[in-house]
Amino acid sequence: MRIPGSRSKLWLTVVLGLIVVVLNFPVIYMTLNSFQTTPEMLASRSVFPEHYSLSNYVFLISKTPFLSYVWNSAITALGATVLSVFAGLLAGYALSRFSHFLMGMYSNLLFAIQMFPIILALVPLFILFRPLGLINNPLSVIIVYSLINLPFITWMSRSYFDTIPRELEEAALIDGCSPIRAFVQVIVPLTGPGVAAVSIFAFLFSYNEFFIANVFLRTQNAMTIPVGIQLFIQQFSTDWGSLLAAATLAMLPTLLLFLFIQKFIVHGALTGSVKG
Amino acid sequence: MNVEVSSPAEPTTTRRKSVSVPHKVRKVFGRRVFAKPGLATAILLLTPSLILIGTVIACPIVLGLQYSVSTGSLIKQGGFVGLANYAKLLQSPTFYNSLEFSVGFAIANIAGCYTLGLGLALLMQKRIPGQGIFRVLLLLPWIVPSLVGVVSWRWLVGDEAAFVNRIIKWAGGNPIFFLSNSGWAILIVILIKIWRSFPFMMLSLLAALQSIDRTLYEAASIDGATPRQMFRYITLPQIRNISIILCLMMIIWSVNDFDTPWLLAQGGPANATQNLVILAYRYTFERNDVGMGAATSFVTLFGLMALVSVVLRLQRKR
Repeated sequence: MRIPGSRSKLWLTVVLGLIVVVLNFPVIYMTLNSFQTTPEMLASRSVFPEHYSLSNYVFLISKTPFLSYVWNSAITALGATVLSVFAGLLAGYALSRFSHFLMGMYSNLLFAIQMFPIILALVPLFILFRPLGLINNPLSVIIVYSLINLPFITWMSRSYFDTIPRELEEAALIDGCSPIRAFVQVIVPLTGPGVAAVSIFAFLFSYNEFFIANVFLRTQNAMTIPVGIQLFIQQFSTDWGSLLAAATLAMLPTLLLFLFIQKFIVHGALTGSVKG
Repeated sequence: MNVEVSSPAEPTTTRRKSVSVPHKVRKVFGRRVFAKPGLATAILLLTPSLILIGTVIACPIVLGLQYSVSTGSLIKQGGFVGLANYAKLLQSPTFYNSLEFSVGFAIANIAGCYTLGLGLALLMQKRIPGQGIFRVLLLLPWIVPSLVGVVSWRWLVGDEAAFVNRIIKWAGGNPIFFLSNSGWAILIVILIKIWRSFPFMMLSLLAALQSIDRTLYEAASIDGATPRQMFRYITLPQIRNISIILCLMMIIWSVNDFDTPWLLAQGGPANATQNLVILAYRYTFERNDVGMGAATSFVTLFGLMALVSVVLRLQRKR
Protein backbone atom coordinates (compact mmCIF):
# COMPACT_ATOMS: atom_id res chain seq x y z
CA MET A 1 0.00 0.00 0.00
CA ARG A 2 2.83 2.39 0.77
CA ILE A 3 5.02 1.46 -2.17
CA PRO A 4 3.21 2.86 -5.21
CA GLY A 5 1.85 6.11 -3.83
CA SER A 6 4.37 7.14 -1.20
CA ARG A 7 6.50 9.26 -3.48
CA SER A 8 3.65 11.24 -4.98
CA LYS A 9 2.20 11.60 -1.50
CA LEU A 10 5.41 13.10 -0.17
CA TRP A 11 5.41 15.46 -3.11
CA LEU A 12 1.79 16.45 -2.41
CA THR A 13 2.63 17.08 1.25
CA VAL A 14 5.44 19.43 0.25
CA VAL A 15 3.17 21.29 -2.17
CA LEU A 16 0.42 21.60 0.40
CA GLY A 17 2.89 22.77 3.03
CA LEU A 18 4.12 25.49 0.69
CA ILE A 19 0.55 26.57 -0.07
CA VAL A 20 -0.18 26.80 3.65
CA VAL A 21 2.89 28.96 4.27
CA VAL A 22 2.16 31.25 1.31
CA LEU A 23 -1.49 31.70 2.22
CA ASN A 24 -0.70 32.40 5.87
CA PHE A 25 2.28 34.57 5.07
CA PRO A 26 0.64 37.95 5.93
CA VAL A 27 -0.20 36.75 9.44
CA ILE A 28 3.16 35.02 9.99
CA TYR A 29 5.07 38.07 8.76
CA MET A 30 3.06 40.41 10.97
CA THR A 31 3.56 38.25 14.07
CA LEU A 32 7.32 37.90 13.60
CA ASN A 33 7.77 41.61 12.88
CA SER A 34 5.89 42.68 15.97
CA PHE A 35 8.70 41.31 18.15
CA GLN A 36 11.20 44.10 17.44
CA THR A 37 11.56 47.76 18.31
CA THR A 38 9.54 50.12 16.12
CA PRO A 39 12.53 51.88 14.46
CA GLU A 40 14.13 48.56 13.65
CA MET A 41 10.83 47.21 12.33
CA LEU A 42 10.42 50.17 9.98
CA ALA A 43 14.01 50.01 8.82
CA SER A 44 14.56 46.33 8.18
CA ARG A 45 11.24 44.79 6.99
CA SER A 46 12.86 41.38 6.76
CA VAL A 47 10.81 38.33 7.64
CA PHE A 48 12.88 37.35 10.69
CA PRO A 49 13.88 40.18 13.07
CA GLU A 50 17.57 40.59 13.82
CA HIS A 51 16.99 41.35 17.49
CA TYR A 52 13.86 40.16 19.20
CA SER A 53 12.26 42.66 21.57
CA LEU A 54 9.04 42.99 23.53
CA SER A 55 9.16 46.79 23.57
CA ASN A 56 6.00 47.18 21.46
CA TYR A 57 4.06 44.93 23.80
CA VAL A 58 5.31 46.76 26.89
CA PHE A 59 4.33 50.10 25.36
CA LEU A 60 0.95 48.73 24.26
CA ILE A 61 0.01 47.46 27.72
CA SER A 62 1.41 50.33 29.79
CA LYS A 63 0.81 53.42 27.61
CA THR A 64 -2.33 52.69 25.60
CA PRO A 65 -5.89 51.79 26.71
CA PHE A 66 -5.45 48.29 25.24
CA LEU A 67 -6.41 46.50 28.46
CA SER A 68 -9.64 48.43 28.64
CA TYR A 69 -10.41 47.29 25.07
CA VAL A 70 -9.77 43.71 26.19
CA TRP A 71 -12.16 44.11 29.09
CA ASN A 72 -14.88 45.59 26.84
CA SER A 73 -14.40 42.83 24.31
CA ALA A 74 -14.72 40.18 27.01
CA ILE A 75 -17.97 41.71 28.32
CA THR A 76 -19.61 42.10 24.92
CA ALA A 77 -18.53 38.71 23.61
CA LEU A 78 -19.62 36.91 26.80
CA GLY A 79 -22.93 38.77 26.95
CA ALA A 80 -23.68 38.05 23.30
CA THR A 81 -22.73 34.40 23.78
CA VAL A 82 -25.05 33.91 26.75
CA LEU A 83 -27.99 35.66 25.13
CA SER A 84 -27.66 34.09 21.69
CA VAL A 85 -27.00 30.56 22.97
CA PHE A 86 -30.00 30.82 25.28
CA ALA A 87 -32.32 31.91 22.45
CA GLY A 88 -30.72 29.65 19.84
CA LEU A 89 -30.81 26.47 21.95
CA LEU A 90 -34.51 26.85 22.67
CA ALA A 91 -35.27 27.58 19.03
CA GLY A 92 -33.08 24.71 17.84
CA TYR A 93 -34.94 22.35 20.15
CA ALA A 94 -38.28 23.59 18.82
CA LEU A 95 -37.14 23.06 15.22
CA SER A 96 -35.85 19.60 16.04
CA ARG A 97 -38.88 18.28 17.91
CA PHE A 98 -41.96 19.95 16.47
CA SER A 99 -42.97 19.73 12.84
CA HIS A 100 -45.40 22.33 11.62
CA PHE A 101 -45.38 24.54 8.54
CA LEU A 102 -44.65 27.52 10.80
CA MET A 103 -41.37 25.87 11.78
CA GLY A 104 -40.42 25.64 8.11
CA MET A 105 -41.24 29.31 7.70
CA TYR A 106 -39.12 30.15 10.72
CA SER A 107 -36.22 28.22 9.22
CA ASN A 108 -36.50 30.23 6.00
CA LEU A 109 -36.65 33.43 8.03
CA LEU A 110 -33.33 32.52 9.65
CA PHE A 111 -31.83 31.97 6.22
CA ALA A 112 -33.00 35.41 5.14
CA ILE A 113 -31.56 36.95 8.30
CA GLN A 114 -28.17 35.50 7.55
CA MET A 115 -28.14 37.36 4.24
CA PHE A 116 -29.64 40.58 5.57
CA PRO A 117 -27.58 43.76 4.99
CA ILE A 118 -27.09 44.73 8.62
CA ILE A 119 -26.39 48.38 7.73
CA LEU A 120 -30.11 48.62 7.06
CA ALA A 121 -30.85 47.86 10.71
CA LEU A 122 -27.97 49.89 12.14
CA VAL A 123 -29.27 53.28 10.99
CA PRO A 124 -32.68 53.01 12.72
CA LEU A 125 -31.18 51.17 15.71
CA PHE A 126 -28.71 53.99 16.28
CA ILE A 127 -31.60 56.47 16.43
CA LEU A 128 -33.64 54.12 18.64
CA PHE A 129 -30.79 53.36 21.03
CA ARG A 130 -29.60 56.94 21.49
CA PRO A 131 -32.44 58.18 23.74
CA LEU A 132 -32.21 54.92 25.72
CA GLY A 133 -28.56 55.63 26.54
CA LEU A 134 -27.41 52.51 24.72
CA ILE A 135 -24.79 54.22 22.53
CA ASN A 136 -21.33 53.52 23.98
CA ASN A 137 -23.00 50.83 26.07
CA PRO A 138 -22.06 47.17 25.56
CA LEU A 139 -25.74 46.21 25.69
CA SER A 140 -26.47 47.67 22.23
CA VAL A 141 -23.72 45.60 20.64
CA ILE A 142 -24.70 42.50 22.64
CA ILE A 143 -28.27 42.67 21.32
CA VAL A 144 -27.23 43.03 17.69
CA TYR A 145 -24.54 40.31 17.92
CA SER A 146 -27.05 37.90 19.46
CA LEU A 147 -29.32 38.33 16.47
CA ILE A 148 -26.46 37.82 14.04
CA ASN A 149 -25.35 34.67 15.85
CA LEU A 150 -28.89 33.32 16.04
CA PRO A 151 -29.16 31.51 12.66
CA PHE A 152 -26.07 29.34 12.93
CA ILE A 153 -26.58 28.62 16.63
CA THR A 154 -30.14 27.53 15.91
CA TRP A 155 -29.08 25.29 13.02
CA MET A 156 -26.15 23.76 14.84
CA SER A 157 -28.05 23.06 18.04
CA ARG A 158 -30.91 21.66 16.00
CA SER A 159 -28.54 19.18 14.39
CA TYR A 160 -27.29 18.13 17.85
CA PHE A 161 -30.82 17.69 19.18
CA ASP A 162 -31.64 15.59 16.12
CA THR A 163 -29.03 13.06 17.25
CA ILE A 164 -30.68 12.61 20.67
CA PRO A 165 -33.41 9.97 20.61
CA ARG A 166 -36.92 11.17 21.31
CA GLU A 167 -37.52 8.16 23.56
CA LEU A 168 -35.61 9.92 26.34
CA GLU A 169 -38.11 12.75 26.53
CA GLU A 170 -41.02 10.40 26.04
CA ALA A 171 -39.85 8.50 29.10
CA ALA A 172 -39.49 11.72 31.07
CA LEU A 173 -42.94 12.90 30.00
CA ILE A 174 -44.52 9.61 30.96
CA ASP A 175 -42.88 9.90 34.34
CA GLY A 176 -44.70 13.18 34.76
CA CYS A 177 -42.15 15.72 33.67
CA SER A 178 -43.29 18.91 31.96
CA PRO A 179 -41.92 19.41 28.42
CA ILE A 180 -39.80 22.37 29.56
CA ARG A 181 -38.37 20.41 32.49
CA ALA A 182 -37.68 17.43 30.24
CA PHE A 183 -35.72 19.77 28.00
CA VAL A 184 -33.72 21.41 30.78
CA GLN A 185 -33.02 18.33 32.91
CA VAL A 186 -32.82 15.53 30.35
CA ILE A 187 -31.85 16.93 26.97
CA VAL A 188 -29.56 19.87 27.72
CA PRO A 189 -27.14 17.86 29.91
CA LEU A 190 -26.76 15.38 27.04
CA THR A 191 -25.79 18.11 24.59
CA GLY A 192 -22.84 19.29 26.70
CA PRO A 193 -20.06 19.15 24.08
CA GLY A 194 -22.38 20.48 21.40
CA VAL A 195 -23.45 23.42 23.54
CA ALA A 196 -19.82 24.13 24.37
CA ALA A 197 -18.84 24.19 20.69
CA VAL A 198 -21.78 26.38 19.75
CA SER A 199 -20.93 28.79 22.59
CA ILE A 200 -17.32 29.05 21.47
CA PHE A 201 -18.51 29.81 17.95
CA ALA A 202 -20.78 32.54 19.20
CA PHE A 203 -17.96 33.95 21.32
CA LEU A 204 -15.54 33.94 18.39
CA PHE A 205 -17.91 35.71 16.03
CA SER A 206 -18.71 38.37 18.61
CA TYR A 207 -15.09 38.83 19.61
CA ASN A 208 -13.93 39.24 15.99
CA GLU A 209 -16.67 41.63 14.89
CA PHE A 210 -15.74 45.16 13.82
CA PHE A 211 -18.51 46.94 11.88
CA ILE A 212 -21.32 46.97 14.46
CA ALA A 213 -19.00 47.79 17.34
CA ASN A 214 -17.59 50.63 15.24
CA VAL A 215 -21.08 52.12 14.85
CA PHE A 216 -22.24 51.86 18.45
CA LEU A 217 -19.07 52.18 20.52
CA ARG A 218 -17.70 55.63 19.79
CA THR A 219 -15.81 56.72 22.93
CA GLN A 220 -12.45 55.26 23.77
CA ASN A 221 -13.45 53.69 27.08
CA ALA A 222 -16.35 51.83 25.48
CA MET A 223 -14.42 50.40 22.53
CA THR A 224 -13.80 46.70 21.90
CA ILE A 225 -10.42 45.45 20.64
CA PRO A 226 -11.00 45.74 16.85
CA VAL A 227 -12.45 49.25 17.13
CA GLY A 228 -9.74 50.39 19.50
CA ILE A 229 -6.90 48.99 17.44
CA GLN A 230 -8.24 50.79 14.40
CA LEU A 231 -7.32 54.09 16.11
CA PHE A 232 -3.64 53.24 15.65
CA ILE A 233 -4.26 53.40 11.88
CA GLN A 234 -6.41 56.47 11.68
CA GLN A 235 -3.97 58.93 13.18
CA PHE A 236 -1.79 60.98 10.83
CA SER A 237 1.02 58.50 10.83
CA THR A 238 0.25 54.90 11.61
CA ASP A 239 1.82 53.67 14.86
CA TRP A 240 3.06 50.43 13.30
CA GLY A 241 4.73 49.11 16.44
CA SER A 242 1.61 49.22 18.60
CA LEU A 243 -0.59 48.22 15.67
CA LEU A 244 1.26 45.00 14.90
CA ALA A 245 1.63 44.09 18.57
CA ALA A 246 -2.05 44.76 19.25
CA ALA A 247 -3.18 42.79 16.19
CA THR A 248 -0.99 39.85 17.20
CA LEU A 249 -2.37 39.87 20.75
CA ALA A 250 -5.94 40.24 19.46
CA MET A 251 -5.47 37.10 17.38
CA LEU A 252 -4.37 35.00 20.35
CA PRO A 253 -7.76 34.22 21.99
CA THR A 254 -9.21 33.45 18.56
CA LEU A 255 -6.49 30.91 17.81
CA LEU A 256 -6.72 29.24 21.23
CA LEU A 257 -10.49 28.88 21.10
CA PHE A 258 -10.33 27.76 17.50
CA LEU A 259 -8.10 24.83 18.45
CA PHE A 260 -10.88 23.58 20.74
CA ILE A 261 -13.60 23.68 18.12
CA GLN A 262 -11.84 22.92 14.86
CA LYS A 263 -13.25 19.37 14.92
CA PHE A 264 -16.78 20.73 14.99
CA ILE A 265 -16.24 23.16 12.15
CA VAL A 266 -16.42 20.68 9.30
CA HIS A 267 -19.54 19.17 10.81
CA GLY A 268 -21.04 22.64 11.31
CA ALA A 269 -20.30 23.74 7.76
CA LEU A 270 -21.90 20.59 6.41
CA THR A 271 -25.10 20.70 8.43
CA GLY A 272 -25.37 24.46 8.02
CA SER A 273 -25.39 24.28 4.27
CA VAL A 274 -27.66 21.26 4.07
CA LYS A 275 -30.23 22.53 6.53
CA GLY A 276 -30.35 26.01 5.03
CA MET B 1 -48.03 14.34 52.20
CA ASN B 2 -45.37 12.05 53.55
CA VAL B 3 -47.94 9.60 54.73
CA GLU B 4 -49.34 8.88 51.28
CA VAL B 5 -45.98 8.77 49.58
CA SER B 6 -44.59 6.28 52.06
CA SER B 7 -47.39 3.82 51.39
CA PRO B 8 -46.97 2.75 47.80
CA ALA B 9 -48.74 -0.53 48.31
CA GLU B 10 -52.09 1.24 48.48
CA PRO B 11 -54.63 0.43 45.80
CA THR B 12 -54.45 2.77 42.82
CA THR B 13 -57.85 4.32 43.39
CA THR B 14 -56.89 5.79 46.75
CA ARG B 15 -53.59 7.03 45.36
CA ARG B 16 -55.32 8.98 42.66
CA LYS B 17 -57.70 10.48 45.11
CA SER B 18 -55.01 11.76 47.43
CA VAL B 19 -51.50 12.93 46.71
CA SER B 20 -51.00 12.49 43.05
CA VAL B 21 -53.64 14.95 41.96
CA PRO B 22 -51.15 17.68 41.03
CA HIS B 23 -48.88 14.93 39.71
CA LYS B 24 -51.64 13.55 37.53
CA VAL B 25 -52.57 16.94 36.12
CA ARG B 26 -49.01 17.52 35.10
CA LYS B 27 -48.89 14.07 33.59
CA VAL B 28 -52.01 14.69 31.55
CA PHE B 29 -50.67 18.06 30.48
CA GLY B 30 -47.39 16.49 29.51
CA ARG B 31 -49.07 13.77 27.50
CA ARG B 32 -51.40 16.10 25.73
CA VAL B 33 -48.59 18.41 24.71
CA PHE B 34 -46.57 15.52 23.51
CA ALA B 35 -49.33 13.75 21.63
CA LYS B 36 -50.36 16.81 19.59
CA PRO B 37 -47.86 18.83 17.53
CA GLY B 38 -47.51 21.05 20.59
CA LEU B 39 -47.48 24.33 18.74
CA ALA B 40 -47.90 26.28 21.98
CA THR B 41 -44.73 24.82 23.47
CA ALA B 42 -42.87 25.38 20.21
CA ILE B 43 -43.87 29.03 20.10
CA LEU B 44 -42.89 29.42 23.74
CA LEU B 45 -39.45 28.03 22.86
CA LEU B 46 -39.18 30.44 19.94
CA THR B 47 -40.17 33.50 21.97
CA PRO B 48 -36.66 34.73 22.90
CA SER B 49 -35.55 34.42 19.28
CA LEU B 50 -38.65 36.16 18.00
CA ILE B 51 -38.13 39.05 20.44
CA LEU B 52 -34.56 39.43 19.16
CA ILE B 53 -35.69 39.34 15.53
CA GLY B 54 -38.40 41.87 16.27
CA THR B 55 -35.99 44.27 17.97
CA VAL B 56 -33.06 44.05 15.59
CA ILE B 57 -34.72 43.32 12.23
CA ALA B 58 -38.47 43.87 12.03
CA CYS B 59 -38.73 47.15 13.93
CA PRO B 60 -35.71 48.75 12.18
CA ILE B 61 -37.06 47.77 8.75
CA VAL B 62 -40.32 49.59 9.41
CA LEU B 63 -38.53 52.63 10.89
CA GLY B 64 -35.91 52.60 8.13
CA LEU B 65 -38.56 52.59 5.44
CA GLN B 66 -40.05 55.64 7.11
CA TYR B 67 -36.64 57.37 7.36
CA SER B 68 -35.93 56.68 3.70
CA VAL B 69 -38.92 58.78 2.65
CA SER B 70 -38.17 61.73 4.94
CA THR B 71 -35.42 64.25 5.55
CA GLY B 72 -33.70 64.47 8.87
CA SER B 73 -30.53 63.89 10.85
CA LEU B 74 -29.48 61.48 13.57
CA ILE B 75 -30.75 63.95 16.18
CA LYS B 76 -34.16 64.88 14.82
CA GLN B 77 -36.42 63.55 12.16
CA GLY B 78 -37.54 65.80 9.31
CA GLY B 79 -40.64 65.91 7.15
CA PHE B 80 -41.99 63.54 4.54
CA VAL B 81 -40.40 63.98 1.10
CA GLY B 82 -41.80 61.00 -0.79
CA LEU B 83 -39.32 59.26 -3.02
CA ALA B 84 -37.03 62.31 -3.30
CA ASN B 85 -34.16 60.53 -1.51
CA TYR B 86 -34.35 57.58 -3.89
CA ALA B 87 -34.52 59.91 -6.90
CA LYS B 88 -31.52 61.89 -5.67
CA LEU B 89 -29.60 58.69 -5.05
CA LEU B 90 -30.35 57.23 -8.48
CA GLN B 91 -29.16 60.45 -10.12
CA SER B 92 -25.87 60.73 -8.25
CA PRO B 93 -22.68 59.47 -9.94
CA THR B 94 -21.31 58.42 -6.52
CA PHE B 95 -24.07 55.85 -6.27
CA TYR B 96 -23.20 54.31 -9.65
CA ASN B 97 -19.50 54.24 -8.75
CA SER B 98 -20.33 52.41 -5.52
CA LEU B 99 -22.70 50.06 -7.31
CA GLU B 100 -20.08 49.26 -9.91
CA PHE B 101 -17.48 48.57 -7.25
CA SER B 102 -19.89 46.40 -5.21
CA VAL B 103 -20.77 44.29 -8.26
CA GLY B 104 -17.19 43.96 -9.49
CA PHE B 105 -15.95 43.18 -5.98
CA ALA B 106 -18.57 40.43 -5.55
CA ILE B 107 -17.91 38.83 -8.96
CA ALA B 108 -14.12 38.93 -8.59
CA ASN B 109 -14.36 37.52 -5.07
CA ILE B 110 -16.62 34.68 -6.19
CA ALA B 111 -14.37 33.78 -9.12
CA GLY B 112 -11.26 33.87 -6.92
CA CYS B 113 -12.47 32.14 -3.79
CA TYR B 114 -14.45 29.47 -5.64
CA THR B 115 -11.48 28.49 -7.79
CA LEU B 116 -9.06 28.52 -4.87
CA GLY B 117 -11.55 26.80 -2.56
CA LEU B 118 -12.42 24.04 -5.03
CA GLY B 119 -8.76 23.45 -5.90
CA LEU B 120 -7.80 23.12 -2.25
CA ALA B 121 -10.84 20.97 -1.48
CA LEU B 122 -9.88 18.56 -4.28
CA LEU B 123 -6.32 18.47 -2.95
CA MET B 124 -7.57 17.90 0.60
CA GLN B 125 -9.64 14.95 -0.54
CA LYS B 126 -6.50 12.96 -1.33
CA ARG B 127 -5.10 11.11 1.64
CA ILE B 128 -2.05 13.14 2.52
CA PRO B 129 -0.01 12.71 5.72
CA GLY B 130 -0.61 15.60 8.13
CA GLN B 131 -3.85 16.46 6.37
CA GLY B 132 -5.67 17.43 9.56
CA ILE B 133 -3.03 20.00 10.49
CA PHE B 134 -3.03 21.46 6.99
CA ARG B 135 -6.79 21.79 7.05
CA VAL B 136 -6.73 23.66 10.35
CA LEU B 137 -3.92 25.95 9.19
CA LEU B 138 -5.75 26.76 5.97
CA LEU B 139 -8.72 28.01 7.98
CA LEU B 140 -6.61 30.70 9.67
CA PRO B 141 -7.36 33.57 7.25
CA TRP B 142 -11.05 32.96 7.83
CA ILE B 143 -11.03 32.81 11.63
CA VAL B 144 -8.70 35.69 12.50
CA PRO B 145 -10.58 38.95 13.18
CA SER B 146 -11.13 41.01 10.01
CA LEU B 147 -9.07 43.79 11.51
CA VAL B 148 -6.07 41.51 12.09
CA GLY B 149 -6.25 40.19 8.54
CA VAL B 150 -6.38 43.63 6.97
CA VAL B 151 -3.64 45.00 9.23
CA SER B 152 -1.34 42.15 8.24
CA TRP B 153 -1.95 42.93 4.56
CA ARG B 154 -1.40 46.64 5.10
CA TRP B 155 1.95 45.85 6.66
CA LEU B 156 2.76 43.75 3.60
CA VAL B 157 1.87 46.35 0.92
CA GLY B 158 1.22 49.55 2.88
CA ASP B 159 4.07 51.89 1.97
CA GLU B 160 7.10 52.44 -0.23
CA ALA B 161 9.40 50.25 1.86
CA ALA B 162 6.86 47.47 2.48
CA PHE B 163 7.80 43.81 1.95
CA VAL B 164 6.17 43.50 -1.48
CA ASN B 165 7.85 46.70 -2.67
CA ARG B 166 11.21 45.41 -1.48
CA ILE B 167 10.70 42.34 -3.65
CA ILE B 168 9.69 44.52 -6.60
CA LYS B 169 12.82 46.65 -6.11
CA TRP B 170 14.97 43.56 -5.78
CA ALA B 171 13.54 42.34 -9.09
CA GLY B 172 14.44 45.67 -10.63
CA GLY B 173 11.05 47.42 -10.65
CA ASN B 174 9.83 50.68 -9.15
CA PRO B 175 7.94 50.60 -5.87
CA ILE B 176 4.16 50.77 -6.21
CA PHE B 177 1.94 52.85 -3.94
CA PHE B 178 -0.70 50.18 -3.59
CA LEU B 179 -3.04 52.09 -1.31
CA SER B 180 -2.95 55.49 -3.01
CA ASN B 181 -3.51 54.30 -6.57
CA SER B 182 -7.16 53.46 -7.36
CA GLY B 183 -6.51 50.47 -9.58
CA TRP B 184 -4.02 48.87 -7.24
CA ALA B 185 -6.18 49.53 -4.17
CA ILE B 186 -9.12 47.77 -5.86
CA LEU B 187 -6.92 44.80 -6.69
CA ILE B 188 -5.58 44.57 -3.13
CA VAL B 189 -9.00 44.82 -1.51
CA ILE B 190 -10.24 42.02 -3.80
CA LEU B 191 -7.22 39.89 -2.96
CA ILE B 192 -7.81 40.38 0.77
CA LYS B 193 -11.47 39.47 0.39
CA ILE B 194 -10.60 36.30 -1.54
CA TRP B 195 -8.00 35.50 1.10
CA ARG B 196 -10.57 35.93 3.87
CA SER B 197 -13.33 33.91 2.15
CA PHE B 198 -11.62 30.95 0.47
CA PRO B 199 -11.44 28.80 3.66
CA PHE B 200 -15.22 28.80 4.02
CA MET B 201 -15.57 27.80 0.35
CA MET B 202 -12.95 25.09 0.79
CA LEU B 203 -14.67 23.62 3.87
CA SER B 204 -18.14 23.62 2.35
CA LEU B 205 -16.96 22.19 -0.97
CA LEU B 206 -14.93 19.55 0.86
CA ALA B 207 -18.06 18.51 2.72
CA ALA B 208 -19.96 18.40 -0.59
CA LEU B 209 -17.21 16.34 -2.26
CA GLN B 210 -17.17 13.86 0.59
CA SER B 211 -20.90 13.32 0.34
CA ILE B 212 -20.68 12.16 -3.32
CA ASP B 213 -21.48 8.47 -3.66
CA ARG B 214 -18.18 6.55 -4.16
CA THR B 215 -19.85 3.91 -6.33
CA LEU B 216 -20.32 6.50 -9.10
CA TYR B 217 -16.55 6.73 -9.47
CA GLU B 218 -16.12 2.97 -9.25
CA ALA B 219 -18.65 2.44 -12.01
CA ALA B 220 -17.01 5.12 -14.15
CA SER B 221 -13.54 3.66 -13.73
CA ILE B 222 -14.83 0.21 -14.70
CA ASP B 223 -16.23 1.83 -17.84
CA GLY B 224 -12.79 3.25 -18.50
CA ALA B 225 -13.38 6.94 -17.74
CA THR B 226 -10.33 9.19 -17.33
CA PRO B 227 -9.93 11.27 -14.15
CA ARG B 228 -10.75 14.39 -16.17
CA GLN B 229 -13.98 12.83 -17.48
CA MET B 230 -14.92 11.76 -13.96
CA PHE B 231 -14.40 15.33 -12.73
CA ARG B 232 -16.42 16.76 -15.62
CA TYR B 233 -19.30 14.27 -15.60
CA ILE B 234 -19.51 13.16 -11.97
CA THR B 235 -17.91 15.66 -9.59
CA LEU B 236 -19.12 18.91 -11.15
CA PRO B 237 -22.79 17.88 -11.60
CA GLN B 238 -22.84 16.42 -8.08
CA ILE B 239 -21.64 19.64 -6.43
CA ARG B 240 -23.60 21.94 -8.75
CA ASN B 241 -26.49 22.74 -6.43
CA ILE B 242 -24.40 23.38 -3.34
CA SER B 243 -22.06 25.50 -5.48
CA ILE B 244 -24.92 27.72 -6.63
CA ILE B 245 -26.07 28.26 -3.04
CA LEU B 246 -22.50 28.90 -1.84
CA CYS B 247 -21.86 31.42 -4.62
CA LEU B 248 -25.12 33.16 -3.87
CA MET B 249 -24.23 33.42 -0.18
CA MET B 250 -20.74 34.62 -1.03
CA ILE B 251 -22.08 37.33 -3.36
CA ILE B 252 -24.43 38.57 -0.67
CA TRP B 253 -21.66 38.58 1.95
CA SER B 254 -19.34 40.44 -0.42
CA VAL B 255 -21.95 43.10 -1.13
CA ASN B 256 -22.63 43.46 2.61
CA ASP B 257 -18.94 43.58 3.50
CA PHE B 258 -17.90 46.74 5.27
CA ASP B 259 -14.77 45.64 7.10
CA THR B 260 -12.40 44.81 4.22
CA PRO B 261 -12.69 47.97 2.09
CA TRP B 262 -13.13 50.25 5.10
CA LEU B 263 -10.18 48.98 7.10
CA LEU B 264 -7.90 48.91 4.07
CA ALA B 265 -8.38 52.48 2.87
CA GLN B 266 -11.67 53.88 4.28
CA GLY B 267 -13.25 53.34 0.87
CA GLY B 268 -10.50 55.39 -0.79
CA PRO B 269 -8.40 56.41 -2.60
CA ALA B 270 -10.83 58.87 -4.23
CA ASN B 271 -13.77 56.58 -3.29
CA ALA B 272 -12.43 53.85 -5.56
CA THR B 273 -13.16 51.10 -3.01
CA GLN B 274 -16.37 52.62 -1.62
CA ASN B 275 -19.13 50.02 -1.83
CA LEU B 276 -22.84 50.57 -1.18
CA VAL B 277 -22.54 49.76 2.53
CA ILE B 278 -19.76 52.30 3.01
CA LEU B 279 -21.81 54.82 1.03
CA ALA B 280 -24.81 54.28 3.32
CA TYR B 281 -22.53 54.52 6.37
CA ARG B 282 -21.02 57.77 5.08
CA TYR B 283 -24.42 59.33 4.35
CA THR B 284 -25.68 58.44 7.82
CA PHE B 285 -22.76 58.84 10.18
CA GLU B 286 -20.48 61.31 8.39
CA ARG B 287 -22.91 63.58 6.50
CA ASN B 288 -25.69 63.10 9.06
CA ASP B 289 -28.23 62.54 6.27
CA VAL B 290 -30.34 59.68 7.61
CA GLY B 291 -32.82 59.78 4.71
CA MET B 292 -30.14 59.15 2.10
CA GLY B 293 -28.44 56.56 4.28
CA ALA B 294 -31.66 54.60 4.72
CA ALA B 295 -32.51 54.92 1.02
CA THR B 296 -29.08 53.56 0.05
CA SER B 297 -29.50 50.59 2.41
CA PHE B 298 -32.91 49.80 0.97
CA VAL B 299 -31.65 49.95 -2.60
CA THR B 300 -28.95 47.46 -1.55
CA LEU B 301 -31.56 45.18 0.02
CA PHE B 302 -33.85 45.35 -3.03
CA GLY B 303 -30.94 44.59 -5.32
CA LEU B 304 -29.96 41.54 -3.27
CA MET B 305 -33.54 40.30 -3.07
CA ALA B 306 -33.89 40.57 -6.85
CA LEU B 307 -30.65 38.66 -7.31
CA VAL B 308 -31.70 35.88 -4.93
CA SER B 309 -35.10 35.40 -6.56
CA VAL B 310 -33.61 35.33 -10.08
CA VAL B 311 -30.90 32.82 -9.14
CA LEU B 312 -33.27 30.53 -7.26
CA ARG B 313 -35.78 30.63 -10.12
CA LEU B 314 -33.09 29.78 -12.68
CA GLN B 315 -31.87 26.96 -10.48
CA ARG B 316 -35.35 25.49 -10.18
CA LYS B 317 -35.97 25.70 -13.93
CA ARG B 318 -32.91 23.69 -14.94
